Amino acid sequence: MAAREVHHLAQCITCHAWNADMSMVAVCPNNNEVHIYKVSESPDTPWERVYVLEKHEQLVSGIDWAPKSNKIVTCSHDRNSYVWSLEGEEWQATLVILRLNRAATSVQWGPQENKFAVGSGAKTVCVCYYEEDNNWWVSKLIRKKHLSTVTSVSWHPNNVLLATTSTDSKCRIFSAFIKGVDARKDATTVFGDIKFGDELIQLDLACGWAFGAQWSPSGNSLAYVGHDSSIHFVTDVGPTPRARSLSLRHLPLRDVLFLSETRLVAGGFDCNPMLFGSEKTGDWEFISFLDEVKLPEEPKSDTLFAAAKGKFKWLGSESSEESTLTTTHHSCITMLRPRVPLSERSPDKAITLFSSSGLDGRVVIWDLNNVGDGLAGLRL
Amino acid sequence: MTIRFVFLQANTLRPYLTCIRNTLTAAMCLQNFPCQEVERHNKPEVEFKTSKELLLNPILICRNEAEKCLIESSINSLRISIKVKQADELENILAKKFLRFLSMRAESFQVLRRKPVQGYDISFLITNFHCEEMFKHKLIDFVVAFMEVWSIFTTPVSLIFLASRAGSRFKKSSTSCLVDFDCIEKNHSTAIFT
Repeated sequence: MAAREVHHLAQCITCHAWNADMSMVAVCPNNNEVHIYKVSESPDTPWERVYVLEKHEQLVSGIDWAPKSNKIVTCSHDRNSYVWSLEGEEWQATLVILRLNRAATSVQWGPQENKFAVGSGAKTVCVCYYEEDNNWWVSKLIRKKHLSTVTSVSWHPNNVLLATTSTDSKCRIFSAFIKGVDARKDATTVFGDIKFGDELIQLDLACGWAFGAQWSPSGNSLAYVGHDSSIHFVTDVGPTPRARSLSLRHLPLRDVLFLSETRLVAGGFDCNPMLFGSEKTGDWEFISFLDEVKLPEEPKSDTLFAAAKGKFKWLGSESSEESTLTTTHHSCITMLRPRVPLSERSPDKAITLFSSSGLDGRVVIWDLNNVGDGLAGLRL
Repeated sequence: MTIRFVFLQANTLRPYLTCIRNTLTAAMCLQNFPCQEVERHNKPEVEFKTSKELLLNPILICRNEAEKCLIESSINSLRISIKVKQADELENILAKKFLRFLSMRAESFQVLRRKPVQGYDISFLITNFHCEEMFKHKLIDFVVAFMEVWSIFTTPVSLIFLASRAGSRFKKSSTSCLVDFDCIEKNHSTAIFT
């Protein structure tokens, strides 16, 4: 079974994030708090809640935990963002003045952890960096490029390019090069010399709201999903990118996660993670669902009468087809995260452990090393 | 006789309800979405319609001219409006009374809209907060069961209609019949919905 651990932590989870060695997880239980759980050794024992971070006034919409500097950044619908650092036994919060007038929706640390990006309902993206002289986080805005709320942000591994998705159904790539913070050589990318706020590419592949942008580990490809049940892969991101869109017959997806350059998982309203893969040709295809769906058991019919009654059951007026749940997650999967410690990650090794959280309040850890028979031949 | 009638109705109703159920499953993909027009607000976009790009195309499912269901969807909310069959004046009055009885108790149903959308008899408003608190499939079951119950409910309406016609033969006024029905209706609906 692919789902290795299931932890029911709250009624509803909006987002979660792991620390560097995967011993702690920060979770937002659909309110203004962030709970940090200590992960237990054995899969069956429940996790222990060790910290509660309380500073925000409204729903926390995004959490990201920087593995190297061990700092947590949170953003919330109250238009603020906090950077939390562990000092002794306490988490200390630093307020970040985002200069936003609408809710913040998502947040991500840059790969070098000297910057982070916040998407917002004000149709802007904030790129924040630390100013040592004043001892605070400064925010620079990318304005007037999005036509609607920014739903997700994702940093390219080079720490300069930033991909965003928005409810105007587009995915865009921006330059987030900040003079004085990034080295001058970083400004030269495949797009030539870039300066802060340049819109480099606008992708208009989806016919619905776009969500869940994510770069592949090398930064060569980009994937995002659309609310029209589509998933889009863009390879060779540069002046001449190649795109492939897949339309699915399932419910829309919400988030994606690259396991390697050729494998990706995506989760959404079907409550069941989907695995996608590309072969040598570079064309991405749907491979399979990861959850083993348990079919509801047929009621045993002992007697001839019961069997006959069962046959005619649908005729009765009260036999409304009661639907049942068959998946591990009971509601929409909203976030996928790798669950491999930083020290064990390498570009040429596929991620086999990842976690998902959803609106049902569960955090599920998926292990692709012991998937079911149907996936046994699968090579990550 | 009556039982047979119910069976027959349940079967012809089925494709209509299945269609509504499947459409709702696809349409009820809601998420928390803060308002992008007003600061610190979070409200159902389908009601306010402030941003066009956050609304989806409405879907109208018709069984016939008199029975239809309108499903309007947006990023964080969904509105289902139902028009139920009213064959004649009497059924019209009965339906009005019953629906008024329900909408007066809208809080206890949570997803019921206090006032139906114009042109419809009853409306439900489902937001992402309902989907977070309740199972999505159970919510859909509720709406479909409501429509199913309605079709059963119309059976006593026809029966009472017959009774009222019989009553008129005994020179009873039709108003007294309605009063009688009022208490049946209360018992009936409490039995089903509470």
